[in-house]
Parts: sequence; structure tokens; C-alpha cells
Amino acid sequence: MRIITFAVLAAAGIAAISATPAAATGAIKCQAGPQSGWKTKEALTAMLVKEGWTVRKAKVDGGCYEVYGTTPQGERVEAYFHPVSLDKLYVARRGEVLFRKAGY
Amino acid sequence: MATVRSLRDSLPLFWLLLAVPALVQLLGWWSGRIDTMDMLAPTGETSARLMIAAMLIGPLMALIGPRGWLRWLLARRRSFGVAAFSYAVLHTAFYAVDMGNVADMLAEALAPGIWTGWAALVLFLPLAATSNNAAMRSLRAGWKTVQRMVYPAALLTLLHWAWVHNNYTAALAHLAPLALVWLILVMRRLLQNFPSPQPSSGV
Repeated sequence: MRIITFAVLAAAGIAAISATPAAATGAIKCQAGPQSGWKTKEALTAMLVKEGWTVRKAKVDGGCYEVYGTTPQGERVEAYFHPVSLDKLYVARRGEVLFRKAGY
Repeated sequence: MATVRSLRDSLPLFWLLLAVPALVQLLGWWSGRIDTMDMLAPTGETSARLMIAAMLIGPLMALIGPRGWLRWLLARRRSFGVAAFSYAVLHTAFYAVDMGNVADMLAEALAPGIWTGWAALVLFLPLAATSNNAAMRSLRAGWKTVQRMVYPAALLTLLHWAWVHNNYTAALAHLAPLALVWLILVMRRLLQNFPSPQPSSGV
């Protein structure tokens, strides 16, 4: 019986670990004040699409907007934008930093 | 009691246990709860964890001797290894699905975080292909040489993990138990090779 309990607990533990969503990468931090002063995620997406990006996912990370997508040059990247100015702060392709704004 | 023992020793049940993370991850993806791009981290991490587990069993045995539970794990080391490879294949498959086409995959193939992953997968192929009794018999002494490829493969895996996130923390945390056991083994061997000086006989 003990073995079965152990097996069930082990399976539950493994399941819990595997179901946990990936933690925020937190490559960049923004001190951008309260979210009420931020531009919307939709505004950022619209701006990027206009510039030729393909946006696959946009979310808040480290107080910035974090975007997963493809640049106009065709690179699959993870990029950070300032939520108030929508300035590009950081672009990395599979961990390789392609761009980092001075001060970030 | 006999039933418990047969459950504990059942290899299919153990394989099922090893497949639980994949089932949870695939169900999440199938139901639309997990995006394709978010399947990469869990499948890759599960692969790396199983690889580390397989690599830990031997050194642990050398460190603390043949305990019952270690023997039980040792008898299942091949399962850990084959499962690690299977998760690596799943990881690569989701990467391919996420990228969507070969041209995009080739375009970033030389990025440090990517070539290391491909190289690790290539090194894992002969390991997985020879993880059976027939290969063990036909390769004889050469089998061990092939299986030692797990060390460069593990190094590449951890580099892939660290570089793809531009963050070493998670990869190093997973290397830590292995490094600790190796360190203790090396220290013990050094101490055995250089015994402390004997007190003089007082002549």
C-alpha cells in the first residue's frame, strides 16, 4: 500500500511540476509607474504590426511589455518595450541579445 | 504484498510514470490551454531533468554504496535515459511546429542557444539507438564508449538551456547535484591517494 501511495504522490508531484507555467524571464525591468498611465498592449501590437513585425504573444513582464514575435528582418525574437513610451528596450533571439537600449 | 512488489517492479508502470509529464503537457496543448511556443520549456526541462537523474544514479552508487533504492533506480537507468531522449524529441517536434518552416529554423540554427540544442540531440541519437540489450551484446566494450557520449551531450544540453534564456541560473541549479556528487568522489579519491603523513616513530 505504501508503494502505491508513494507512486501516486510521485505522479502527482511530477504532474504539478510539469503543469506549472514557465516563470517570467525578467530579462529587463521597467519603472513605469501605475498601469493606469500605460499605453495598451493593443496599441503596442498595432505599432509593431505597422512596422512589419508578427506578434505571437504580448504580456507584462518585469513592469515592461514583453513581446514574442518575428522582426521585420524575419528573426524570431523576445523583445521588451517600455509601457509608457513604447520604446524598444531589448531584443534577443533565442537568448542572443541583438539590441539593448542604453541604461537597460 | 506480492501485488505491491509486482507493481513496484513493473517496468510498464514505471514507463507510465515517466510519461505523466508528457501526458499533462500534451493535454494542456491539445485543450488549447498551452500555446505551442510554451510547450518548449516544459518538454526541454523534463528531458534535462531525466538526463540528470540517469547520470546521478552511478555516481551516487559509488558514493554511498549499493542501497536497495539505488539498485532499484539503477535497474531503471536505461528507462530514464530513453525517456530523456523521448522528451528531447518531443521538445524538437514542438520547436519545429512553433517555427512552422525549415527556412526559419535554418536562419537561426547558428545562434548559440540553438546549435547547442541540435548538437545535443545529435549526440543523443547513438545513445538512444544503443539503449538495448542487443546493442550492448554486439558492441561489447565499445558500448560503454558510446554511452559516455552522455557527458558532452549533457554539457551541450545545459549550455543550450542557459544560452537560449541568456540566463545560467536554472541550468546550473540542475547541474549542481551532479557536480556535488562528483566533487565529493574526486575529493575522496584524492584523499585516498595522498594519505595523511604518518607520525614519526620517535627515533
